[in-house]
Amino acid sequence: MNPTPNSFLTRRQALQQLACGFGYMAFAGLAAQAAARSAANPLAAHPGHFPARAKRVIFLFMGGGVSHVDSFDYKPTLYARDGEMREFLDQRNIARTGVGATGRVMKPMWDFKQRGQSGRWVSDLFPHLAELADEYCVVRSMHTEGVAHGPATLFLHTGSTNLIRPSMGAWVSYGLGSENENLPAFVALSPTLANGGPRNYGNAFLPSVFQGTAIGRSGQRAVEAGLRNVRNPGLTTAEQQRQFELVRAMNEEQLRAKPGDYELEAVANSYELAWRLQNHAPDTLDLSKESAATLALYGIGEEPTDDYGRQCLMARRLAESGVRFIQVNYSDNTNNPAWDQHSNLPKHKDHAVRVDKPVAGLLRDLKARGLLDDTIVWWGSEFGRTPYAEKNGTGRDHNPTGFSVLLAGGGFKPGFAYGETDDFGHFAIENKVHMHDLHATILHQLGLDHEKLTFRHDGRDFRLTDVHGHVVRDILG
Amino acid sequence: MLSCFSFPAVIAALALLGGSIRGADAGDLEFFEKKIRPLLVERCYECHSEGKKIKAGLRLDHTEGWRRGGDSGPAVVPGNVEGSPLIKAVRYTGLEFEAMPPKSQLTHAETALLEEWVKRGSPGPDAAMASAATPDTAAAKPKQVGLTVAEGRKFWAFIPPAKSDVPAASPTTKNWPRTDIDRFIAAEWESKGLTPAPDANRAALFRRASFDLTGLPPTPEALEAFVRDVRPTAGAFASVVDAMLAAPQFGERWGRRWLDVARFAESSGGGRTLLFKDAWRYRDYVVETFNRDVPFDRFVREQLAGDLLPAATPEDKRRQITATAFLALGPTNYEEQNKDALRMDILDEQIDTLGKAFLGMTIGCARCHDHKFDPIPNRDYYALAGILRSTHTLHNYTDNVAKWVDATLPADPAVETEIVAHEAQIATLEKQIGKLRAAAGNASLAKSVTAASLPGIVLDDTQAKVVGEWKHSTAMPGFVGEGYLSDDNAEKGKRTVTFTPVIPQTGRYEVRLAYNAAESRSTNTPITILHADGESAVVLNQRERPSVDGRFGSLGTFRFEKDGAGYVLVSTEGTTGYVIVDALQLIPIEPRADLLPAVLAGTAGVAKSAVTKTMAELVDPAARKNAAELKRLEAELKKLTTAGPKRELAMSVREAAGEIGDTEIRIRGVARNLGAKVPRGFLQVATPGEMPQFSATESGRRELADWIASAENPLTARVITNRTWAWLLGAGLVRTVDNFGTTGERPSHPALLDHLARQFVADGWSIKKLVRAIVLSRTYRLAAGATPDAARLDPDNRLFSHANRRRLEAEEIRDAILAASGRLDLTVGGPNISAATTSEYGYVFADTRRSLYTPAFRNRRLELFEVFDFADINASVGQRAASVVAPQALFLMNHPWMTEQAKLAAQRTLASADRTDSARVEEAYRVALGRAPTARERTLALDFVHAGSVEIWAQFHQSLFASVDFRYLD
Repeated sequence: MNPTPNSFLTRRQALQQLACGFGYMAFAGLAAQAAARSAANPLAAHPGHFPARAKRVIFLFMGGGVSHVDSFDYKPTLYARDGEMREFLDQRNIARTGVGATGRVMKPMWDFKQRGQSGRWVSDLFPHLAELADEYCVVRSMHTEGVAHGPATLFLHTGSTNLIRPSMGAWVSYGLGSENENLPAFVALSPTLANGGPRNYGNAFLPSVFQGTAIGRSGQRAVEAGLRNVRNPGLTTAEQQRQFELVRAMNEEQLRAKPGDYELEAVANSYELAWRLQNHAPDTLDLSKESAATLALYGIGEEPTDDYGRQCLMARRLAESGVRFIQVNYSDNTNNPAWDQHSNLPKHKDHAVRVDKPVAGLLRDLKARGLLDDTIVWWGSEFGRTPYAEKNGTGRDHNPTGFSVLLAGGGFKPGFAYGETDDFGHFAIENKVHMHDLHATILHQLGLDHEKLTFRHDGRDFRLTDVHGHVVRDILG
Repeated sequence: MLSCFSFPAVIAALALLGGSIRGADAGDLEFFEKKIRPLLVERCYECHSEGKKIKAGLRLDHTEGWRRGGDSGPAVVPGNVEGSPLIKAVRYTGLEFEAMPPKSQLTHAETALLEEWVKRGSPGPDAAMASAATPDTAAAKPKQVGLTVAEGRKFWAFIPPAKSDVPAASPTTKNWPRTDIDRFIAAEWESKGLTPAPDANRAALFRRASFDLTGLPPTPEALEAFVRDVRPTAGAFASVVDAMLAAPQFGERWGRRWLDVARFAESSGGGRTLLFKDAWRYRDYVVETFNRDVPFDRFVREQLAGDLLPAATPEDKRRQITATAFLALGPTNYEEQNKDALRMDILDEQIDTLGKAFLGMTIGCARCHDHKFDPIPNRDYYALAGILRSTHTLHNYTDNVAKWVDATLPADPAVETEIVAHEAQIATLEKQIGKLRAAAGNASLAKSVTAASLPGIVLDDTQAKVVGEWKHSTAMPGFVGEGYLSDDNAEKGKRTVTFTPVIPQTGRYEVRLAYNAAESRSTNTPITILHADGESAVVLNQRERPSVDGRFGSLGTFRFEKDGAGYVLVSTEGTTGYVIVDALQLIPIEPRADLLPAVLAGTAGVAKSAVTKTMAELVDPAARKNAAELKRLEAELKKLTTAGPKRELAMSVREAAGEIGDTEIRIRGVARNLGAKVPRGFLQVATPGEMPQFSATESGRRELADWIASAENPLTARVITNRTWAWLLGAGLVRTVDNFGTTGERPSHPALLDHLARQFVADGWSIKKLVRAIVLSRTYRLAAGATPDAARLDPDNRLFSHANRRRLEAEEIRDAILAASGRLDLTVGGPNISAATTSEYGYVFADTRRSLYTPAFRNRRLELFEVFDFADINASVGQRAASVVAPQALFLMNHPWMTEQAKLAAQRTLASADRTDSARVEEAYRVALGRAPTARERTLALDFVHAGSVEIWAQFHQSLFASVDFRYLD
């Protein structure tokens, strides 16, 4: 058999026109095709437990812990009591010794104002997000597990501080599959290697097809980020096509000797999917076709917003293309990550200016394209920061007992604030939302029941929310 | 603190207070009815009352409910506000209790009411308040829903393996069996109407055995020799199998399988990943164990209790200590701040791993409650936990970022002598240096210096963030810059100074604080250093003369990351005397200053030479001479410490001296929520006889090891025998190889499993004999692929009427490609992470040793491993998954490593110029697929390469690697 370059392409085009898109029609019956397809593509889109309000999630992860009392949780008491030494139930101290510690109350470093029609309080730390205060829901009563970055970051992503569990994106991929068979269902843009690293987008005991695909990595510029192995740098497209054709012909010959083995057929088919991925996926990440106005909206082409702006725009393009769970990481590879201002809170501003405009740009762009309605945009950290100065210095320590997240689109009530922390912003006290609850609520909006989204492993059914979690219906529109 | 809630104490308290409880006076009752009951109804009943929910077994709708309490014991200790769990929970200070009510906190007034109520003795009416429910049902413990221990003893896995008769041959297959294994297998076919597949052809059989036993493809020569061997297949095959069993690559292949089970890794992963630099010793120990065919029962004992077992030779001692890394290699999150929880998490991981690895049991499920499915009560878990809690896995349980136990390995006598001499030499030098330093310190500091003239990163006090009123002073000479700061010995705790240095390059730095000493100074200045590995607290005695040049006090050496957060905070909290802050200095230690950007090496060349001199030596010739001598000695010391012989370390565990004993049940698995103590012990259901008596001075690991490694244990021999079967035949007799519990599958051939397990024990727990027996059976030699009959009658091939086609594992794929490219390095054993590596991040995988030796980092994996389902090295894995996904295809087609290996393979093919293309194609097929090409394949290949360049040949080789047959064993 003598393959010609064209025969492959023609075949590929022919296959694409079939609803199923897979299969070696020459020697596989329809039933075999279906079996090979499900073996080759467990990522095929499938419905959840009930009708979904949203189709996908964009999670804007602020690694290190944004100070909620300097941004979205306005506490007049901090001004009134600024400088006072008080006993606080400091979580780090409690974890270590069982007792709290004395701290100096420190007022916010950025002024708060009421914004928009809703009159939500937002500080000057995030002027662009302040303008959009009517577009998102602020949950001010978050609390979580883990006082240090590693445990808390893993908890945020996997629902466990220490045990090996699948990440949320992997659960969502498992629950819903991908809407685009040329792209992965779960993408992590510029993930950090620190604080759990790959476990934060890993599949743990779920089949590996559900693991997150990393595009770029923290520390690499977004402009250089891309999908791995989608090009052979040594070959022209024509040469590559000829090689793919050879592999196909070799496999066809080998399979002829072993008919009826679906797994082997799935291997052969994986080259067809690979070829399509190779030809389509890079376009998704190519920002050159975006208009100047769009680039400007995200702050692309200007510093210091270019990098995170690119990530946010790639996220929109991935969302448009049917990727289910897109995580956009603002972090670095250090053990004390970006937003971790223990000693120097004013540095928060350096980070804020890098993300504020891109995130606001993303929200505006999604809205303008009608995508915000069925996209959940979740902005937040693994925890917040203390209302008192750490060791009486000039920064704030970690605070897992009270912090804020933003939720836009996807059926969350816009311009709404939910829950309260105490007068100092230390502990969530009213309408508390645990990280498990947030997970449950986001799954709910995607049409997934967090108690039913289970996977049997080691003889028992596991869930993202373990045996916890409640859907917070009050924040749903 | 919590022991006061333990049962006897509470019962005593109730007895003492009994009168006042029963006889609550009218006023108290009125207080209860008016203030407390409405509060309980409104805020607590939703989850703690009859008819709604009774969470955590606690009812608050009648008196007995809070007196008896729930899972955590009484909710209220009458009269004792601080000691009442209910109060702790509503104060939201929760350590051992979840904050209650979970949705929102009570107001201060409401909390005060409850405190008042407890102070009054928590009065309430004697009668049930809300319903007729009896107190007994209210406080009822959750029932065990799985099997009881007695029921469990009747479950197949807990019944000791029985002697089974080898089945007689049936008429249809009587000529087929070769060994007893075959007789057991063939006996099941008759009733199903199955007939065996033909025997595999010799080439396929040889390739299969080669990968199964050595993890490597056969060489074309060996393959050819076997195919042409004129002896009958059985005999010819037995001799090649024996050769494979004797090869060092056997231990590498089978050791790798055990490493999956032992979740072997060379870094901790998790939050803050740390390198396990000595983990390779455990890997080599495992390989050697399989190569020497050390009895499996001994292997078990060494891994669990090697440090406690007698050793005949220093070599044995080394092996045994190294073996205990099994307990220490888990994916521990050393940064967890709640160290009680960390300790329980570590032993949970150990219980989980040893349960799966040796017993095929998911014991971890019994941490919070009785096992839901298996006959493992909660107390069995804590019986095991007592043993492991009597063992230290961490060096200490207090550091911000904890560290594992490094044990010193005994050296052989000659090396030992050398080391002792070396250590003495270092001690002498250190003494001399100490004396000279003291002398230098005594010379007076004449004047101030500028920050720029000092080496390293220097921040003067003017560059620090200052909180509170600090006094600027120039009273004492010798300061850096314009002066220094003093807290004026006032407002202790309110004043701090924070230095936030900018770190130009990741590395280790010595951190120094400049101050001047005097009698009036603080003796206990607390200083916090946040660095890349966590937070460290140092206490500085400022009455002591600064040790470096009389100017700087050293605070220790820490790792800082470029652009990472880091600071040094000087506090005045609790200090007695004046706190002085002059400047901060960071001296790069690793990499050295001369390798760093100019900014670190002192600001200018001139300054650099000046800085090596102290102020004293500028004015005093004697001091100058001293300084020269000091420098010489310091250099010598550095040379000695870096170059001399070192004691070898291995990851290990040690007995928890002073803490050995039984431990308490942790209620609902919460580390600080202690229940009753349970005696140390094992799983009752798998313990036929009496539990041993545990020593008060030894953890009990030795007894634990004996219990597991016993022929009486119904699980151990079956589990390893079944795994061995699965590793060779692609599926276990029990297909859930890590789960022999009630949620696992039942054995397809229970009699064969028992036969193999008993034979294994009778053969002295020899893995090699077991492997040999299975591989030489005719069952192993069957051809792969189902006949249409088999596909219909036994689609899952549970009856092994044909061989299961197996995908090569990630390591086999890499090793086979390296074998084809001619680059495979077969060096056996030894470390493979370069000594200079400090972090897995950015690690470049460049070696060509067997994949077994590829650094097994938890957070950074070789991409090929990631793509091809390398075992999850965070957890014990007895059988790997084998996925089929497009990224595998993309990797094989496009990854630079693939194109590089393909090109090397092509160069080999083209090396002898006199061969025809057809011969080259044939050779390539034999190397990659272990067979010659078919006529059609040959034509296809020749059309593709057709007088082509090395690049075209490389594409051809790469395509072979990408083809289905390369990846599968027939």
